[in-house]
Amino acid sequence: MKSSKSSQLMQKYSIFFVLLVMIIVSTMMNPNFLSGRNMTNIAVQLAVATILAYGEMVLIVSGLLDLSSGAVLALAGVLSVSVYKATGNMLLAVAVSIGVAVAFNMINALFVANFAMPAFIVTLATQMAARGLALLYTSGQNILQIGDYAFLGQGKIGPIPIPVIFMVIATIVISYIMNQTKLGRSFYAIGGNEEASIASGINVVKSKYMAFLINGVLVGIAGVLFMARVNAGLPNGAVGYEMEGLTAAIVGGTSFSGGIGTTSGTLIGSFIIGCLNNIMNLQGVDSYIQQVVKGGIIVAAVLYDIRFKNKKAPKVILKKKDEEEKKDDAPKAEAGA
Amino acid sequence: MKKYLAAILAMAMAATALTGCGGGSTEPAAEEATADGYKVAYIARAQSDSFAAWLANEMVRAAGEYEDITLDVFDGQADDAKENAAIENAIANGYDAIIVQPNNGEAQRPYVEQVVAAGIVAITTNSRIEGIEGASSVDADPYIQAQVNAEKAIEQVPENAKVVVLRGPSGNFHADERLKAWNEVFFAARPDVQIVGDDYANWNKDEAMVLMEDWTLAHGKIDAVISMNDNMAAGALEVVKDNPEYADMLAYGVDGTAEACLLIQDGLMTSTCLQSAIDLADLNMATVHQLLTGEAEQIDTDIDAVLINADNVAGYVDMYKANGQITE
Repeated sequence: MKSSKSSQLMQKYSIFFVLLVMIIVSTMMNPNFLSGRNMTNIAVQLAVATILAYGEMVLIVSGLLDLSSGAVLALAGVLSVSVYKATGNMLLAVAVSIGVAVAFNMINALFVANFAMPAFIVTLATQMAARGLALLYTSGQNILQIGDYAFLGQGKIGPIPIPVIFMVIATIVISYIMNQTKLGRSFYAIGGNEEASIASGINVVKSKYMAFLINGVLVGIAGVLFMARVNAGLPNGAVGYEMEGLTAAIVGGTSFSGGIGTTSGTLIGSFIIGCLNNIMNLQGVDSYIQQVVKGGIIVAAVLYDIRFKNKKAPKVILKKKDEEEKKDDAPKAEAGA
Repeated sequence: MKKYLAAILAMAMAATALTGCGGGSTEPAAEEATADGYKVAYIARAQSDSFAAWLANEMVRAAGEYEDITLDVFDGQADDAKENAAIENAIANGYDAIIVQPNNGEAQRPYVEQVVAAGIVAITTNSRIEGIEGASSVDADPYIQAQVNAEKAIEQVPENAKVVVLRGPSGNFHADERLKAWNEVFFAARPDVQIVGDDYANWNKDEAMVLMEDWTLAHGKIDAVISMNDNMAAGALEVVKDNPEYADMLAYGVDGTAEACLLIQDGLMTSTCLQSAIDLADLNMATVHQLLTGEAEQIDTDIDAVLINADNVAGYVDMYKANGQITE
């Protein structure tokens, strides 16, 4: 019994132990690793990828995914920079970035939810379209002299860099949505078993739209932070960032089968990747070797996921559904009507 | 209502996709050639590469100065197979001349040889493919571009300096040649200099920023950044620009981008070498015109490698103001 409990505990918190061991080993390898400045560096470097990872986590939990987030980030970011240069209005610039990213995600949602097209194909198409539009709009050239816009990516409030503040806010909001709301539970339910969700009265189409909407808001924010951090509008920037987000989500325990995944796990997954990159840079490891190491970690994470999938699934999906049925029958009936 | 909304969004999506993919289309970008003019195809390496996009735009401008030349631009999309297919299509479509900006010289070599075999004028540019009999070339020599910086750096970099090296993509001809020049000209002459960081940032500003953040933490004061292009140098400078400890840090790049010129003007960057897309485009069009009109049978030529530093940067800032890349 004890052994079973400790096994469950280990399974539940294994990702935290991995990060802890990594931090200890990294500190032993390089004393600079645990310094405040390096921790700040890691957090700032990870902010954009982590925010994208939350979007991917929400989608993957719902049985979806987004391959367009890097390209949409670039398009939303360059349009936002342009608007800021033209108007000097920061709020408007941020709104444009979020608006563009949400619009693209609504297009994704339309084809996935209403026309039952695979998210992989739809988001691959929008990835191409968004990147093409970003290059078309800028004629392939970087937008320079962005002025105070850079403050959002390089500035600090007190000792805390602004991108880190955005990351923390995103963590709190996404964690709340996933753990405390009916919407969050519907994501787990439709990702775990879409047919059962329909049968139990969940409005699956609406939930998919909401998952893409949340992803769109996150991508729009990431677009602003990315362009502000590099102090330019880069139409060919953030190439492959969707993979950074997917990697963080998967390493953090999000199951590609859907229905399983947590905000804290994604955050830890992102930090595992970030700490690995950081310590390898500090130790002067070649970036190509870094890619090999990251590839190995993804395989290990997926292997772990497959190995424990059957044990984990009933704990998360069915528990949420049961709770949902017990707690609130009326809204379900409404949703199913 | 939902049906109408769905239809409108579907049409918007289709229009977006068509517009967005325009840059990567293998269909001609310009109008059909006039009956008595010359049809020239320009196969660009990748329109997503900011320099390649600039060069493509300048090619169109330069071609506009020749009444008897109609230029169509095709995008190789940084993919050898797509670039080779674009060359094959251009041969099949009966162009009078085909200018190829290789993605990977050796991968495009047999296809440029096919252009020559078909009796079509062939030019390779930025970078040239060496040793194709019957093909001409117009280029900027990447070795010399780095060399002009490296020669200055021998005198400028302090004794026992700690430097970092930012590399372009592995296997890229320009990245490799520029690094070779730095090794042979600078590092061979300055054995006292210590390389404390050396990694691939793949021409990207954001990747260079992450490396520089980690290097400054791991190694403290860094005396010079030796970058294989301006984008990566700008990324490294972005990290330390507000840190007085790095106020006298030297930074070298290549390309002569608008951003590099602004950084040199602001005293943050030391020097760069202009790889002028304007000059490359003008020389390409002059070359193709000479070849098409029979004034020459084969031409291999380079644009000048102009060092830009604090002494002459003002003129280049003005140049970028004139073409709209710098607005203030």
